Amino acid sequence: MSNAIGIIYANTATDSLQGLALERPIAAVPFGGRYRILDFALSSMVNSGIRTIGLVTPHHYRPLLDHLGAGKAWFLDRKDGGLFILPGVFHGLGGNHTFCIKDLQNNMEYLDKDFAENVVISSGDQIFNINFKQALEVHDDKNADVTLIYKEMDNSGELTNEMFFDMDKDQKVSNIQDKKVPGRIKIVQPYFVNMLIIRREILSNILEKYSSIGCMDLIDILIANLEVLKIYGSPTCSLIGTIRTVKDYFDRSMDLLDLGVRGKLWLGADHIHTKIKDNPPTQYTSQAKVSNSLIASGCTIAGEVVNSIIFRGVILEQGCKIKNSIILPKCHIHANAQTDYAILDKSVKVNGENVLKGSSDHPLVVLKRTVI
Amino acid sequence: MRKQECVAMLLAGGQGSRLGGLTRIRAKPAVSFCGKYRIIDFTLSNCSNSNINTVGVLIQYKPFLLNSYIGLGSAWDLDNPYGGVHILPPFLGEKAGSWYNGTANAVYQNNQFIDFYDPEYVIVLSGDHVYKMDYTLMLKFHKEKNSDITIATLEVPWEEASRFGILSVDEDKRITKFTEKPLEPSSNLASMGVYIFNWSILKQALIADAGDSQSQNDFGQNIIPQQLKQGKRVYAYKFEGYWRDVGTIESYYQANMESLRAGHFLNIFDPKFRIFSNEDILPPHFVGSTAEINNSLVCNGCIVHGKVINSILAPGVFVGKGVQIEDSILLPNVKVHDGSVIVKTIVGENAEIMRHCRIGVEGLLAPKQEGITVIEDNHLVPEGSIIEAGNNV
Repeated sequence: MSNAIGIIYANTATDSLQGLALERPIAAVPFGGRYRILDFALSSMVNSGIRTIGLVTPHHYRPLLDHLGAGKAWFLDRKDGGLFILPGVFHGLGGNHTFCIKDLQNNMEYLDKDFAENVVISSGDQIFNINFKQALEVHDDKNADVTLIYKEMDNSGELTNEMFFDMDKDQKVSNIQDKKVPGRIKIVQPYFVNMLIIRREILSNILEKYSSIGCMDLIDILIANLEVLKIYGSPTCSLIGTIRTVKDYFDRSMDLLDLGVRGKLWLGADHIHTKIKDNPPTQYTSQAKVSNSLIASGCTIAGEVVNSIIFRGVILEQGCKIKNSIILPKCHIHANAQTDYAILDKSVKVNGENVLKGSSDHPLVVLKRTVI
Repeated sequence: MRKQECVAMLLAGGQGSRLGGLTRIRAKPAVSFCGKYRIIDFTLSNCSNSNINTVGVLIQYKPFLLNSYIGLGSAWDLDNPYGGVHILPPFLGEKAGSWYNGTANAVYQNNQFIDFYDPEYVIVLSGDHVYKMDYTLMLKFHKEKNSDITIATLEVPWEEASRFGILSVDEDKRITKFTEKPLEPSSNLASMGVYIFNWSILKQALIADAGDSQSQNDFGQNIIPQQLKQGKRVYAYKFEGYWRDVGTIESYYQANMESLRAGHFLNIFDPKFRIFSNEDILPPHFVGSTAEINNSLVCNGCIVHGKVINSILAPGVFVGKGVQIEDSILLPNVKVHDGSVIVKTIVGENAEIMRHCRIGVEGLLAPKQEGITVIEDNHLVPEGSIIEAGNNV
């Protein structure tokens, strides 16, 4: 039996994903040819032996539930444990929390009913394949109250919202720098990746104690109680990135064309699971010309594809040119149309001879079911 | 348990020795087909699409991979609390036990299983054909004709008719004559090996057949001719649609290759009548910058850096740089390393072809099996090997 249950905050919203997050939470945004962003958090937990997972849902949860069903694809249709839907609070403007405690206070029963010692909490807007077993071992060894998962900053990625912290030799967190503090120096320093392990009883106590306060971030409560709680850190290197903006989405998608990134995410022992659609194989005609691209199943490819990601069931007609683009499921690109630096949401139809062009800094986003 | 109207008995125990290296470690129904499928997917999907949710799968030959593939049948939506998929191996009784000795004997030995569901009808299916068929239409025909036995039939080309069980029918579609593999066929209506029986009739026939020491205990050879002789109402249901026999290397190769042709693609992949399969969830396939893929099918999890023409790549195949693959079928998880050339070859599952091999090259003698080369499952072809066309390795 696993000594941990999971909670995924699948209700993170953003205004910077343009049309992609219009009708869906970030967690339900399609990613990587056949997945949705949530699949990474969900599969990581399942691969870590967690068999009870609560999902904090947003207001628009239809696409999430459509994708999840009873959780069968993640082996979560179970008698003992399984998938639990935890209806989140309806946040108004300014509800910019990572782990809002109100969302959990409304679902206390989920926490009280279980016997597990620990709770693994993760956000649902990140691309990763992390096995939490290692962190759970650290958590146990140190007899920690809370273990924060961190990544060493490598100066490569752009970090805007992250929370940095200092640790002593024993990996005990001694100081947490709030993300809101301006003017911090850029040095190699561990930053928090919005995943943590906390003792279930401590979490329950916190939720009870702060019940009178409306919306507060669990992280802020941990910072406030740094002296009282035993907080440790555990490293990971399998985080690919967080999806907040269109640029994030585009760049993290294009990262997948790199073997190193695919290796961390897909080619290891732990697989990422997703809803099965039973699509046929992808068919290439004799006019197809594809290079450096990821192509999902069920597509028909008769055109040219370069540096792109093609989702399931896309039809690319003869003479069309897809460059540096992300084409979501069931799009249909007619003959001789062209796209460059474009993200086409589901079921977009591009009629013949059209040219869609964005730039690497500002990829063009075409809304779901648009006909061009 | 609930009484079922119709129970399917799926014959999946045959060795399929004519498929050579492809059935060395697995039963024929578990052989990969058309990239992501396995042969049994078609029959199980037909059951699922025809609302037949109680299926007994009769197994005998090297069943492990087949059993693990079928599992609870959930991949075909056949995990049903009132029925579901049942794997039926040969078993011991109080006094003795025996292997399944013929198709009819296999069903006979499991008469308790069928009685458990107490059906009106039993549909007997074979797990080694690739076809899409709605059994409800055949059952409707069976009821309309008030038939005892209905045999699904299909028109085959006259020149091939002597390979099949051939039927002659009167104007009411009642069967007057049935000959297994006739030298001079009197009709081109061939049996597809799909039968619907009234369970009461079948049970009697099986008991009689089991008592006959001369019988080979086979449906086509014994049961059907015997029942015809007894004057039972045996009717022929005419099936029109996609049906392929994949019993030999040649027919297996042709049926696979056909799916590359545009018209046939729809035949198999028509979304209105879906074929389900128990797939591993693999990432999308990656096409490298040195790759060239023409007129081919490529499945999830593949990594392609070389040239692929008129070929089928099953899930998880790796094609290295400078590799050339032409008119070939690569089964799941095959690895082809840099610089190898493969022509008109079926490469078995998990086989690995090291660098600079040449497979399917023209030899001095006229090649066997239409020049199709077969590499066995799990085989490792060492660096620099040259294998002539038509060989089985």
